[in-house]
Amino acid sequence: MLKTSSIKNLLENTLFVWMGLVLILAIGSDRILLPDWIQVIGRSHPLLLHFPIVLLLLGLLFVWIPGLDKKPDARSIFELTLLAGCNFAGLTVIAGLILVNEDYDGDAILWHQWSGIATFYLCIVIYFFRHLSRSFLKPASLALALGITMTGHWGANITHGEDFLLAPIQEKESEITPLAEAEVFNDLVRPILESKCMSCHKEGKIKGELRMDYIEGLQKGGKSGPFVLAGDFENSHMIQRIGLAMEEKKHMPPKNKAQLTEDELIILREWVANGASFDQKVMEIAPDSKLFILASNKFEAKKIYNFEAADASDIKSLNNFFRKVEAFYPESPALEVSYFSIAAFDPNSLEELKKVKDQVVKLNLNKMPLAGVDLSVLKEMTHLEEIQANFTDLDSKQIQLFASLENLKYLAISGNPIDENGVQALSEMKPLINLYLWTPSLSDAQKKTLQSKLPNTSIDFGFDGSEAIFPLNSPKVTFDKMMFRDSMEVVISHPIKTVDIRYTLDGSEPDSLTSPHYSEPIWLTKTGTLRAKVFAKDWIGSPEANFQFLKSGLTPREYQLLSTPNKQYKGNGVETLFDQIKGQNNHTTGEWLGFQDEAMELEIKLNPETNYSELVIGMLYHEGAHIFPPASVEIKGLKNGIWKTVVNEIPEQSKKVDLPRSRFLNYDLSVGGYESLRIKLNPIRSLPKWHPASGAKGWVFVDEILLN
Amino acid sequence: MEKEEFEQGLNFNRRKFLSRLSLGVGSAALGSLLIPDLFSGKAGAEDAIMDALPHFAPKAKRVIYLFQNGAPSQLESFDYKPLLNENIGQELPDSIRGDQRLTGMTAGQTSFPLVGSYFKFNQYGESRAWISEIFPHTAKIVDDICIVKSMHTEAINHDPALTFFQTGAQVGNRPSMGSWLSYGLGSENSNLPAFCVLLSRGRGNGQGVYSKLWSNGFLDATHQGVQFSNSEDPVLYLKDPDKMSRDERRKMLDQIASMNDLSYKEFNDPEITAKIQQYEMAFRMQTAVPEMTDVSKEPDSIIKLYGPDCLVPGTYAANCLLARKLSESGVRFVQLYHQGWDQHGNLPNEMALQAEDVDQASAALITDLKQRGLLDETLVIWGGEFGRTNYCQGKILADNYGRDHHPRAFSIWMAGGGVKSGMVYGETDEFGYNIAENPVHVHDFQATVMNLMGIDHERMTYKHLGRRYRLTDVSGKVVKDIIA
Repeated sequence: MLKTSSIKNLLENTLFVWMGLVLILAIGSDRILLPDWIQVIGRSHPLLLHFPIVLLLLGLLFVWIPGLDKKPDARSIFELTLLAGCNFAGLTVIAGLILVNEDYDGDAILWHQWSGIATFYLCIVIYFFRHLSRSFLKPASLALALGITMTGHWGANITHGEDFLLAPIQEKESEITPLAEAEVFNDLVRPILESKCMSCHKEGKIKGELRMDYIEGLQKGGKSGPFVLAGDFENSHMIQRIGLAMEEKKHMPPKNKAQLTEDELIILREWVANGASFDQKVMEIAPDSKLFILASNKFEAKKIYNFEAADASDIKSLNNFFRKVEAFYPESPALEVSYFSIAAFDPNSLEELKKVKDQVVKLNLNKMPLAGVDLSVLKEMTHLEEIQANFTDLDSKQIQLFASLENLKYLAISGNPIDENGVQALSEMKPLINLYLWTPSLSDAQKKTLQSKLPNTSIDFGFDGSEAIFPLNSPKVTFDKMMFRDSMEVVISHPIKTVDIRYTLDGSEPDSLTSPHYSEPIWLTKTGTLRAKVFAKDWIGSPEANFQFLKSGLTPREYQLLSTPNKQYKGNGVETLFDQIKGQNNHTTGEWLGFQDEAMELEIKLNPETNYSELVIGMLYHEGAHIFPPASVEIKGLKNGIWKTVVNEIPEQSKKVDLPRSRFLNYDLSVGGYESLRIKLNPIRSLPKWHPASGAKGWVFVDEILLN
Repeated sequence: MEKEEFEQGLNFNRRKFLSRLSLGVGSAALGSLLIPDLFSGKAGAEDAIMDALPHFAPKAKRVIYLFQNGAPSQLESFDYKPLLNENIGQELPDSIRGDQRLTGMTAGQTSFPLVGSYFKFNQYGESRAWISEIFPHTAKIVDDICIVKSMHTEAINHDPALTFFQTGAQVGNRPSMGSWLSYGLGSENSNLPAFCVLLSRGRGNGQGVYSKLWSNGFLDATHQGVQFSNSEDPVLYLKDPDKMSRDERRKMLDQIASMNDLSYKEFNDPEITAKIQQYEMAFRMQTAVPEMTDVSKEPDSIIKLYGPDCLVPGTYAANCLLARKLSESGVRFVQLYHQGWDQHGNLPNEMALQAEDVDQASAALITDLKQRGLLDETLVIWGGEFGRTNYCQGKILADNYGRDHHPRAFSIWMAGGGVKSGMVYGETDEFGYNIAENPVHVHDFQATVMNLMGIDHERMTYKHLGRRYRLTDVSGKVVKDIIA
């Protein structure tokens, strides 16, 4: 068994071997020819380097332990750690010196190499003078720690790229290039190479003899051949490598590195396909190519504004509740100014815009009351391109002022009265691209003149409407209930105040000539139908509004249901039938009683003193919801203790699916003199063949029973 | 007194300390790993995300979303499939249906008979797009719109599908699209909410809509959609009580604000400042909203353009007109819902009525924005939550049939705001059942809307319960082909 002391001896001796080898390699490497197998040792450098870092730093820690000399165990661990560290440092430096003969070059590698060598010698010095006083050891250990750190940092920069360590906390510059200026190589291709390829192909680390950090390097190509050849996928090595399967050894970027994204692959391929030029502009490539679409998404496509941005505090001070001043997007110097709130508009506030007169590109004054307002401040806005001033009561002087603005390209002045002077001024505005001029005051001749004077301007005269004839909508009929006891007021209205409302109460169809003209509320005093329509010039007459009104003067003495409504549609029980509330055309409102499995059966006791002339049953029909007219209506009357059939009727059945609607069943009681009535409504047992759910049980819905 | 103040300070500090401690240390360490900028001296990672918005120059500044709730049939509107008319009553081939799951309403059907459109189709405009006869006004503006015939979604029932379209998730706890844009881009006009909601109901069968669709989710409450009502007061509780003068209201708000300010100084709770701001905004809305909702000054041609219903509050036409007025006044996102498009049965009847409700006003909105020079900066979207099956639900009759829900392919249209005009994008197979080319997923659609608004949908996130959320969740590709 080897004793600790003999291991120590051995390791101390090997140190001298390493020192010698380091000297030879460092000074005479270019004069030595290294066999291939030795490269394996060189490539173990990135692995080995971790050992000396840990061991040496651990060893140095002992220097700082108070009273180390009095603890022999600790002391020997300290010495052994330091010794092992020195040995690994030697091996690492040797491996590094071999590795550097591969594709490395540049300043970073020199700094790394020589600081590594210096660190190695420093740790040997510390080891052999470890018995000296602390006043030597302490500063020496600090120097060594510094050496290790710096060597490591430079080394990392070579492998991972410069500023790898600090990159996350350094602010990245993000500038949006305008599309008009963007270049295919500089703005699309190079950023990809920088982020995905260059860490291994640049000064300091030139894998495959390929350098990407300058254009000549790319033009020269690498060990295997040319980097790119215009339009030639087969012989462009870059294209080949990025297209290889991940498992392939030659696949680029290497398996364990960040891979190219889908978009990046497209950019690189399209760049080569388009000629692999180093100075082509994006605007020069076909606009329907994938590359162009990708690029235009990436870069600002609108016009670039290269004037100086306004002072941020000026912009801030101009913003208030009624005026918004903001850049087109965060980096743009171009400003858009918008005014809001008619009530709060202060014409003098336009003057305040002088602070940003060189930056205002778009001005939105829509709806602001500009009549007579001095707009001369606009003349000072050197970059003003777009004015929106719809519905602002402009006069021809103000329009003349707009016409004098040289850079104006978009002008929206719809809804302003334009006179001949205005037309004259507008027809001078040759540079206009778009003019929005929807206004009733323009004659066809004026429109023609304008269009012929401004052949390059797209003019929108908007919707005229004088020739279009559309139907009016039906009038609104307002009343309290469809059922009333004595009399009821009915109001007919229409949102367009100038229309002519005509109505009838006798059941005839209203027309615009003979039917009564509605001018004031109507008082209804008897059961009947109100039909109303509206008419107006340049419009088609409206569909009619049609309401059936029921006068119900009488109430029964008592009433009770003999059958039970479906529990989902039981409303307020039998009271629902006598509450004088007409249900809406929707069976789920609770204003209706619904019957499906059972027939509706109702008994009413009548007042003997009263003469009843009519019985009215309010029904809902809605075939889509399986609600149909009853299959049969049976009404029996009690007279002198005998029940006699009064009505036995099969009402007309539905023939198609229609919208929900309410209808009334009316029965004559004038022969009367009944003490009680029994009413039975049978739902249809199966829906007819034409119905989508034919065969299913039908429903009967009732909302009201009325007596007259 | 001094003693109380001191103790109050201690309480505050202790509470703050404890609440921060548990999260603080650990999340700082983890956070710095996840967000490299965390220690780089920026104000805050979330702020940094917001400062950078919009990410690039926006093409659209505002959105008007005309949601057709209930899912209008693509086969009776924009996706013309003559094969279905030729093969009416024949069985849908299994090879076409594939493994598509069905709703409970037709899963039990033993037969899936194909049914073609009851309505005739014609080609219109320079784009020669096919449009059915019940959309005559839309046919006139076809060269201003981009019809996407290849939309598809993941949900097969209304609630999850709607929620998915609006919030990017089928379960309802995420912010709506309008809330995201309010959060990302803020309001243009600080006297009005950035996100407004308008409801209308048609005469067809349909379900309701509910406030979770315009919810702010986990975002600040100020980003919630403000629902305008159909009554005389479009914004409820905005009016001053009778006999209260505007000066009195001002004094009252000042007093409340000073008290709120005191409690803010005491508790440092940002919700208190949010409250002060909301009171102030409501005060300004008291003048801004009546200005906005007043239709009496609209010219006659506008009434003709939108149809006279635009003067009847609560109709789709009135909402379209109001949407234009809101959008024109700088409301970032106006969300309309028109209900009643769920034609499981009685389709020809009901669909004609639904189309009558929306056709003229939808087209009018495009024309109106255009004549004011606003269409270029306003994105208008028209569409439902999914499509309808090419086979009949229930029995086929000559003039009556129904269609069930179909998530695999449906049509919507978009206009203005940087979308290509006069374009038809995507194609379905000849059965109208599957997408044949250029599929657009709901998340793709959302990513595209965000892109048009100048936002990279992958970069605008909000951290909630320990993870970052986006409208498009973890997918979504911008449909570049339809961007002008």
